[in-house]
Amino acid sequence: MIELIQQIIDGLGRGGIYALLALGIAVIFGVMHLINFAHGELITVSAYTSYWLFASGLNWWFIAPTVIVVAVLTAVIIEFVAFRWVRGAPDFTMLMTSFGVHFLVQALFVMYVSANFRQFPRPGWIFDTWRIGGLSLEVFDLAVIAATLVTLLGTYWLLQRTMFGVSLRAAAEDFDTARLMGIRSNRVIRGAFVLSGVLAGVAAVFWLMRSGQAGPTAGLNPMLKGVLAALIGGLGSLSGAVLGGITLGLVEVLLISRLPGGTAGLTDGIVFLLIALLFVFRPQGLITVRRVERV
Amino acid sequence: MQADRVRHAVAPALGSGLLFLFLVAGSLLYAATGDAAANSLVTQMLINAVVVLGIQIYIGNTGVLSFGHIGFGAIAGYAFAICAISPERKLRQIPNAPFGLAEVDFTPLQSGLIAVTLTVIVAFLIGLALSRSGARSGAVAAVVITLALLFVVHEVARNWIDLTRGGKTGLSFSPLGNATLQGKLPIYLILLGAIGLARLFKETRAGRLAQAAREDDLAARVMGIDPAVQQMIALLLSVVVVSAGSALRVFELGSINPRLFFFDYTLLTLTMLIVGGRNSVVGALTGVLIITVGSELTRNLSEVDIQGMNWLLRDGLTDIFLGGAMLGFMILRPAGLLGDWELDHWSLRRLRRTEPPPVPPPSTDGDQTPTTVLKVTNVTVHFGGYQALADAGLEAASGEIVGLIGPNGAGKTTLLNVITGLVESDNGQTALGGVILTGVSPHVIARSGLARTFQNFRLFSALSVRENIGVVRLVAKHFRRDRPLPPVGALMAQAGLWEQRDRRASELDYGNARRLELARAAAAGPEFLLLDEPTSGMSDSESRAMIDQVRSMAKLIGAGVVVIDHDLNFITGICDRVYVLDQGRVIAVGTPAEIAANPAVQTAYLGTAE
Amino acid sequence: MLDIESLVTRYGTITAVRDVGLTVRAGEVVCLIGPNGAGKTTLLATVAGLLRPSAGRVTLDDADVTGWAPDRMLRAGLALVPEHRRIFSDFTVRENLLVGGITQPASRRHELLDEMVSLFPILKERLSAPAGYLSGGEAQQLAIGRALMSDPAVLLMDEPSLGLAPVLVDQVFDLIGRLREGGRTLFVVEQNAKRMLAVADRAYVMRSGEIVADGPAAQLAASEDLFETYLGQSGGTA
Repeated sequence: MIELIQQIIDGLGRGGIYALLALGIAVIFGVMHLINFAHGELITVSAYTSYWLFASGLNWWFIAPTVIVVAVLTAVIIEFVAFRWVRGAPDFTMLMTSFGVHFLVQALFVMYVSANFRQFPRPGWIFDTWRIGGLSLEVFDLAVIAATLVTLLGTYWLLQRTMFGVSLRAAAEDFDTARLMGIRSNRVIRGAFVLSGVLAGVAAVFWLMRSGQAGPTAGLNPMLKGVLAALIGGLGSLSGAVLGGITLGLVEVLLISRLPGGTAGLTDGIVFLLIALLFVFRPQGLITVRRVERV
Repeated sequence: MQADRVRHAVAPALGSGLLFLFLVAGSLLYAATGDAAANSLVTQMLINAVVVLGIQIYIGNTGVLSFGHIGFGAIAGYAFAICAISPERKLRQIPNAPFGLAEVDFTPLQSGLIAVTLTVIVAFLIGLALSRSGARSGAVAAVVITLALLFVVHEVARNWIDLTRGGKTGLSFSPLGNATLQGKLPIYLILLGAIGLARLFKETRAGRLAQAAREDDLAARVMGIDPAVQQMIALLLSVVVVSAGSALRVFELGSINPRLFFFDYTLLTLTMLIVGGRNSVVGALTGVLIITVGSELTRNLSEVDIQGMNWLLRDGLTDIFLGGAMLGFMILRPAGLLGDWELDHWSLRRLRRTEPPPVPPPSTDGDQTPTTVLKVTNVTVHFGGYQALADAGLEAASGEIVGLIGPNGAGKTTLLNVITGLVESDNGQTALGGVILTGVSPHVIARSGLARTFQNFRLFSALSVRENIGVVRLVAKHFRRDRPLPPVGALMAQAGLWEQRDRRASELDYGNARRLELARAAAAGPEFLLLDEPTSGMSDSESRAMIDQVRSMAKLIGAGVVVIDHDLNFITGICDRVYVLDQGRVIAVGTPAEIAANPAVQTAYLGTAE
Repeated sequence: MLDIESLVTRYGTITAVRDVGLTVRAGEVVCLIGPNGAGKTTLLATVAGLLRPSAGRVTLDDADVTGWAPDRMLRAGLALVPEHRRIFSDFTVRENLLVGGITQPASRRHELLDEMVSLFPILKERLSAPAGYLSGGEAQQLAIGRALMSDPAVLLMDEPSLGLAPVLVDQVFDLIGRLREGGRTLFVVEQNAKRMLAVADRAYVMRSGEIVADGPAAQLAASEDLFETYLGQSGGTA
């Protein structure tokens, strides 16, 4: 029992980050039907930002907010440079475009920085644990869970209570009708990218605190986790994305603890396989998005 | 017939041969002028060409985006390496290999065949998964499944140390005595095979049907095409070529590790495919050439030292070039440089000039075929809480033209969708000549003898007029053998499309597009043509002309007609009997004159003034 | 108020609207009737900015608004109630209305919300219910209310009675009558010709992308050959 609670907490710590990433991907999919494989590049850029800021002698208290700002700027720039021009294009084109951005940003870092990973110090407290009863709680997991909760609540408030949130949700539900209500396409799509940037920025702070390294492919793993979580949740659905992220975190932790020794390295592969199977049998994801084809 | 053979076999085969000769001549010339590095570059390019052609067979014909082909390549590469490495080397590298693989000893050719066979078996399973997920052009599920394959294979290769020696070192051949491809003959043979297979597959029945489904999945289904089957054939063939290419790649490099067949190579091959044009064989090869030359140039440039240009000319320029090419083409020219143009298309113009005009076939006498009855009874459909059809039905006999009219929202198209299997009804039944078609897939219904058109027409837009009709006739030749099937030329002439026969469907104007959809439905050799608003958007004179069009087309193939329309002139002019639907119910049946005089019908259309 | 001159709209190779001209004056209820496929919805979509015209001019209060994007059209004073209502079904009724007023300053938006609630009492009880649970008639009222939230100079409606049970159709036409009494300028596309003509000032009949008849609503309604004009039986004009 204790063990299970322990694993659930660990899973939530992982899943929280995934949920933030997935939510950012779902927000963009909602407004422009694009699976943003370039979402991880926000993490890559954040990683290098952290590295450079550390090298200039700054600490996490300064770096964390800067990383979020940088992630937002990157998201907006990517939208402006690439995604704006393929709006409404066939799915094939949009998918390849987002892959193109993914590879191009990666190549830019290889070219102008280095193909090698660079280390930066992780905050000391992330290794602390609190012991309560039989549980050993990593302070880091608790921080992630708390930060995720705060961010999700903030996002929920933004989406539910502000006019920006209402227009974003309206555009996600029915883009043309949203335009008929006076919602400006450029503005709402840029808004979606800003929001996804903030979510990725928060996720990046914790991801980087744990990994403590920057490299051209630093964003690949978080991107995949985010996309997979969003896929579990049905892509268009925001609450689905959050649930998908949490589910993915829990499944990973449970798998790692239950896989026989020597196969733990296969966790990612097994998770991917499970999701592929999910798609074989439920192509629309766990949470069904209604879509009626008129003929 | 003769012209068809030239078009679909002789010209493509000759074109492929020519393409192969160009490639070989160019490669030999370049290699002859260069050093060992140039030689190796050419070899790599030719091997990449094989892999890209393999991917083209699948993505080009089906439109399904696969990120997993390099995963198939990894399976083939490892299978090849593990079979081909000599037992004494294996004993040093992977002494604990399972299944006694450490002792096996095969020649490279045998190893290649084993690799291809094994990979095709895996591909068959993946193909089943893809078709279960309903893969079609741009489908997300296909992207996920194929990406999963790429990742899972990669993870297994990294972690199954006993078999693969893991990710750090990988497996190596050299020195294997004859490790390099002597005289490159195997590469040339496999390349020739790949070009021929890719080009000719486009012209085979499976290839043409897959392309139709790529253009419009739904229209393909209601024309009797089962996309899953064609996609599976395309996948298996494509994997044969990709695995052969991958085995070559491993052989040439003399080693394999998991990174060799992962994201980077996926990016490289997909960019090659996209730049030249994914729907074309010559396009794929052009892409290979451009990207190889471009990468090589950027690689050399990055070593050049020019004052003030060092910010650009440096290591990594090649990757920028690749990523930039992919992104640039997607934004500016998503169909690639050549679109779907092939080398042998040169010959078509000549073929077209010498093409004799079609001889109109003797139209079938209505009495020859026994009367068949289409009987639709008690159909009820709910969408959520909304009742679209309430106990609706209709009956039509062959040789008859039956109209279906009613105000907007009355349920006419829904009834057609139920009949053709696109919408499931809560209850009710469709029977054609006594055979019950309720609960059957759309493509089976089409093969049983019902062909339809759509309100907002759905043509195979990138295919030519000839091909739109031809592809459906291919299906009909298989499943509707006992029906009169006029030649494609006659159908085009009948629809007044003879002059436009080689234009793309997307370039047709409205009236011609409508007539093409009619001719395409007729090509299916149906017992009944089901037409959804054939005159919508037409001018009065065009609609009048459509009366004769529909009549003579129906007569040509000896079919009955059920037609939805709003133009009463048209309905009156063409129909023997008319059903009137309102709010999902049949409110009147009768001759056009009876219907026009029926006050209930006027009320249904115009409403009542309270 | 709203002037459309020689408007042509094509989708690809399809010319759905051919050289259409019509006028809606302030305070008038004008309707456009005609069979399905006549191009009525395309015309409205063009006027609302969802489609770009290939030729012709749209002017609103003498300002040329041809080819403007929908959000700009809305700010200029043209609001469309789209076919099939297209309400945001995941939203509450209140949120749907608020989206409609998104171009208004916050204080004005809440004033308008109160106005809509008094205009459509049925929505008042449902303000915090998900709009997806509304019945067809309620949803139509919500769609109209949502469009009115932008306080438009001209309200465009596309098939407001489509897919509604007869008793709900009555409600919709009552509502159009009430809006007319309230002095609203309406341009309505409708298939229920007789009912529509009873509440409209003037009418246009469209067939095959062209205007084939027009005149005062009462005169058209009384015309013997309306049915023929409407469906093109004899190609006659009223």
